[in-house]
Amino acid sequence: MNWKNVLSLMQVDRKSGRLIRGRKLTKYRENKFFAYWAYWVALAIGLAVGVLVSLAYTSISAGDPNLQKPFQQGTLSLFLSLPTLVLIYSLVFTMMQQIQRSGVKFSVQVPYWLPITWQEHALASILANLLGFPLASIIFIGSAILIFSIVIGQILAAVLTVLAVCTAAFMASATTEVFRIVQMRFIGAVYKSTGRAAVWVRFVGSLLFFIVFYAGYFYVTSGAGAVTFIETIASAQSTVWFIPFVWLGMTLYSFTTPGLLLQGLAFLGLSLLFIAGLFFLAVLLNRRFGLYEPPAITVSRGIYTPKTGFLGKLGFSTVEAALFRKDFKAFTRRRELMTIFIVSIVLVLVPLMQSLSQTNGTVPPQLSVYLTAVTFLLPASVIAMSLGNFMIGEEGQAVWRIYSSPISAKNLMKSKYYFIIFFSLIVLAITGIFGFLMYHPSLRATIVASFETVFLVFALGAISLSNGIKGADFTEIPRPRMIRTSWSFINLAACLLAGIAMLAPFLPYVLSSALSAFIPVSIGWSALLDPFQALAVSAIIAIVLTVIFYRVALKNAKELIAKAEV
Amino acid sequence: MTMSYASAVELKGVVKRYNEILAVDHVDLTIKAGEIFGLLGPNGSGKSTTLKMLLGLVHPDSGSVSVLGTDVQKDSVGVKQLVGYVPESPRLYEFLTGIEYLDFIGDIYGVQTAEKKNRINEYLKALQLEGREGDMINSYSEGMKQKIALISAFLHRPKLLILDEPLSALDPRSARIVKDFLQELKTQGVTTIISTHVLEIAQALCDRVGIMYQGKLLALGNMDELRQMSKLPDSGLEDIFLKLTGTGDIRAVVEELLK
Repeated sequence: MNWKNVLSLMQVDRKSGRLIRGRKLTKYRENKFFAYWAYWVALAIGLAVGVLVSLAYTSISAGDPNLQKPFQQGTLSLFLSLPTLVLIYSLVFTMMQQIQRSGVKFSVQVPYWLPITWQEHALASILANLLGFPLASIIFIGSAILIFSIVIGQILAAVLTVLAVCTAAFMASATTEVFRIVQMRFIGAVYKSTGRAAVWVRFVGSLLFFIVFYAGYFYVTSGAGAVTFIETIASAQSTVWFIPFVWLGMTLYSFTTPGLLLQGLAFLGLSLLFIAGLFFLAVLLNRRFGLYEPPAITVSRGIYTPKTGFLGKLGFSTVEAALFRKDFKAFTRRRELMTIFIVSIVLVLVPLMQSLSQTNGTVPPQLSVYLTAVTFLLPASVIAMSLGNFMIGEEGQAVWRIYSSPISAKNLMKSKYYFIIFFSLIVLAITGIFGFLMYHPSLRATIVASFETVFLVFALGAISLSNGIKGADFTEIPRPRMIRTSWSFINLAACLLAGIAMLAPFLPYVLSSALSAFIPVSIGWSALLDPFQALAVSAIIAIVLTVIFYRVALKNAKELIAKAEV
Repeated sequence: MTMSYASAVELKGVVKRYNEILAVDHVDLTIKAGEIFGLLGPNGSGKSTTLKMLLGLVHPDSGSVSVLGTDVQKDSVGVKQLVGYVPESPRLYEFLTGIEYLDFIGDIYGVQTAEKKNRINEYLKALQLEGREGDMINSYSEGMKQKIALISAFLHRPKLLILDEPLSALDPRSARIVKDFLQELKTQGVTTIISTHVLEIAQALCDRVGIMYQGKLLALGNMDELRQMSKLPDSGLEDIFLKLTGTGDIRAVVEELLK
């Protein structure tokens, strides 16, 4: 093992982070101190926290010496749970880092032509995975507990904990490395080539990931979950001792408990064996699949038959239909575009999880109206806004085709705008059915919510498309940007204002509904507060906004095509 | 509809400036219909800007650009309908398959369904892409991508072809097919403008050559005229080019590198 090679490879890996952060790839000069600022800050904060906790402990124990023992016991529990905790979040963060890297248009290729062994490459990759937050957090934890351990007289336990934490992080990163290679070999083919099957594997996989992620997030952040989490880890380690990932925690527990030295040594040996196994598996997989080129999945075979054009029957010209079909394929095959669908899922999950955590699974009628409104209005509106934002910028550097082909601004606008409407209404249909089944709204509420969403989709689609054209960013490296940040914010503000204007007619109805629990509403008020009347007013606002912004978008599209200096 | 044009391209006093850089400096150029014209010049000489102006992708600061009898600024969509364009490094929609991309192009140019099918299949066969047309473009080699870009330029039978480095990354067989095809198109009255750094290709293929340098059209004519202009009677295009662009001190540079 040539350690110099390992260090050099780690440096390359660290610098590849510039791609992810989107730094300019030219004239990049690095300040050594600031390159490692996160670790210096982590060390400073760790030391400060250690000193503060020590001072607090000293003053508390001086006031009541009886508190010393439970405090020390609690600290030891924390020490014992730390390796497993660090392992869990290191796994999460190193895997997230890999996901982030896979989103970048070009990745760091293994320099197979250089005299580097696969052991060196695998080790460098494992260590480099830990750079950033995992390493900073280890420095923070290590410095804090070492300082505090001096005060409470647990220096040996603290030193052992720091060692276990470092080893746990390595174990997590080695696991990520194994997964990375496996992913590259077996799932990478799917991700790279994007055949028909791959579309569904990727789509369903992404949906499942986010559902599990958000369900876990809401479980931990709602009430008792967070409090019991650490205690559970500390106590549950012994019951799941057969899982190799908790062997480090078990080692620490055995070494800090009198009479369990032999058990500690056994777990230490097992831990080291497991880590060595993981490392050699990573090396083996790297050697076997490290330079693997995923093959193309053939999307279509056989005799070529051009489309007869269903869209033509709906009034789209050949050019518009071709653009529409092309965009449809883009949104079902490009990963960065598919994530737009995730937004609607999260927007449905958030109120659902909140309502379930607050009401033990049953939804009261007043909350039902609110949740119905959110489920109907929000996802489709946000999809319309997001699609409008990205519809032009998603062309990327292939936009020269739009510029150099006989595509008029009207063609471009029509295909893009109706694409937004089409997709947003599909989302409305799905979330609407979900909302109806989950919250059982009245027929009146369902009709009003559905129509209001349609109005919002038309208006917000036009507004966001006009901004999306103006702020289009065709940069693809390091990742497709699609819209300039400033225009993204402008679009958000414009859509927010338009949304408020369109929903304002419902304000008296919402207020009366909210106040009805406390103040009885008179018959006269009820007549005035008919939501259908509010819907009519909202429709007028939507039509005005749609017409104005469609024209603005058309003007912007003309400018875009005319000033195409590519 | 058949229309005949005396000149396929006409640039009059065209100037284009990017901030302080004068990319195109008062260029006058007429390219005859049915001609294969080579536009040459060192990097940054203004070739690509000139080609983009022909398509209306870049607007001149002053002067006029007329393509196939149409003022590009007045009807750029109309001009694009008649032109086939291959940029220097064509970025294709990589999430489409080769056949899907060509189908898309056919629709954009309004090629009739039956004709589109026949032409696509013919081109795929000629350029040996048969069997790979159903694969995603992101799995194609650079040469295969270039072939798709070329087919997409030929597909609608344009009156004018603007090709920036058309043969780059092509295998010898495909390069020969493209060269012969361009000669055949010439007999049918199709005008081709080629920009390339491979001077042998320009010499073998082009009827006339224009050499741009620092935004100016430095020399224009057929091989004999260029030889006369450069006072290099028996030389090839490479020597003429190096002499006219003042980059002929090659020997000294090589000797410096060898030190």
